[in-house]
Amino acid sequence: MTCSRQWIDAYVDDELDPSTRWQVEQHLAGCESCAALRAEIAARHEQFRTLAPYYRAPERLRQSVQAGLRAEAAGPRRWPWLAVAATVLLAAGLVWGVRRGRERELLAQEIVASHVRSTIGGRLIDVPSSDRHTVRPWFNGKLDFSPEVKDLAAEGFPLAGGRVDYVGGRTVAVLVYRRGNHNIDLFLWPSDTGGGSESQRNGFTIVHWTEGGMSAWAISDVAREELLRFRDAQMADFSKKQ
Amino acid sequence: MQTAGTGAVFPGIFGAAAKSIEWRGLIDPQARLKAFEALMLPHLDAAHNLARWLARSAPDAEDIVQESYLRAFRFFDGYHGGDSRSWLLTVVRNTFLTWRKREERRLSDVPLDEEKHGIAPAAAASQGDTETLRGCIDALPPEFREILILREMEELPYREIAAIASLPAGTVMSRLSRARQRLEDCVRRKAAAR
Repeated sequence: MTCSRQWIDAYVDDELDPSTRWQVEQHLAGCESCAALRAEIAARHEQFRTLAPYYRAPERLRQSVQAGLRAEAAGPRRWPWLAVAATVLLAAGLVWGVRRGRERELLAQEIVASHVRSTIGGRLIDVPSSDRHTVRPWFNGKLDFSPEVKDLAAEGFPLAGGRVDYVGGRTVAVLVYRRGNHNIDLFLWPSDTGGGSESQRNGFTIVHWTEGGMSAWAISDVAREELLRFRDAQMADFSKKQ
Repeated sequence: MQTAGTGAVFPGIFGAAAKSIEWRGLIDPQARLKAFEALMLPHLDAAHNLARWLARSAPDAEDIVQESYLRAFRFFDGYHGGDSRSWLLTVVRNTFLTWRKREERRLSDVPLDEEKHGIAPAAAASQGDTETLRGCIDALPPEFREILILREMEELPYREIAAIASLPAGTVMSRLSRARQRLEDCVRRKAAAR
């Protein structure tokens, strides 16, 4: 057993197994320099423990650690993202809604204009026929779609004919039905969007609905209830075929 | 040289890991949190002290402690009993190492050179014993510093230190001895320069 600093350190730390410890003790008893070293090491330990600052955690750290743990235990915070997503969706929806509303407004204006123009100019009907088998083929080659022409004579809306017009930046089919002395113009064109509406404009009633991928706008000077019945008849006919 | 009782200076944290706390198999997050806090929060001072000595900066130490506790909570399943303070200090040490790597990358090209951080003897000459000692501890390479803090301040047995620093027990003994010698040399040098 040599006089080793390492062993004396471990001895002072009380980290030696009993047999090594006994050997070191034996050595210390007979070696003055080692005994002096042991005393110095012990003193150094005390000095260290007395002088070296022990950095206790500040109170705010305790609080922030606990707050962090609570948040962690609450699980991944999904809601802020949900809130952000919801806000974005809402904003997009508002923009979209406003734009859609404006588009509808413009469309309604054009439909009224088309209806009025056709009445004034006497160009109400390009293909006068009460036979839907005549009217539908007439549209072939004039439109990039084939409108469903329904016979609603039994419901009190006989077919009078059809024409092609230009509304909302595209060619559209206009089916003309009669209700007594009144005309009902039914504008049809393909559309992805759904929805429906009804409004009054310049004394006309405008009813809008969608079915089977088609946007339908009916305009007439008949009573509002009559036009709604016309719409229902159109849709009922559609659902009959489905 | 003073002989003040160490208990007054160092918080007695021995046996703080209450044996009665059952944390195994807890699924409910709130119950887990409760068990975790009961086991680990008593060691907040020890965690902070180690982080502070390793990082040598108060704000960095707080960041490291904060992160350590979150990591410890996430990996709470990895605690299989035993000294909860040692387990937590292992997490603190690992968090510090990750933090240092991140800092080195952030500061790129400028590695955290331990020697550069040492206090120049001239500057330390006018300082008191505490400042001298602090300067000398700070000047130690981190692998010496951590082992010294764990032993002298936390009074952990070699076995626990070996586990925390992932070292063989024999290496703890020799490294601790060298750390003390270096520290003594440094203090002696500075005392002579005064």
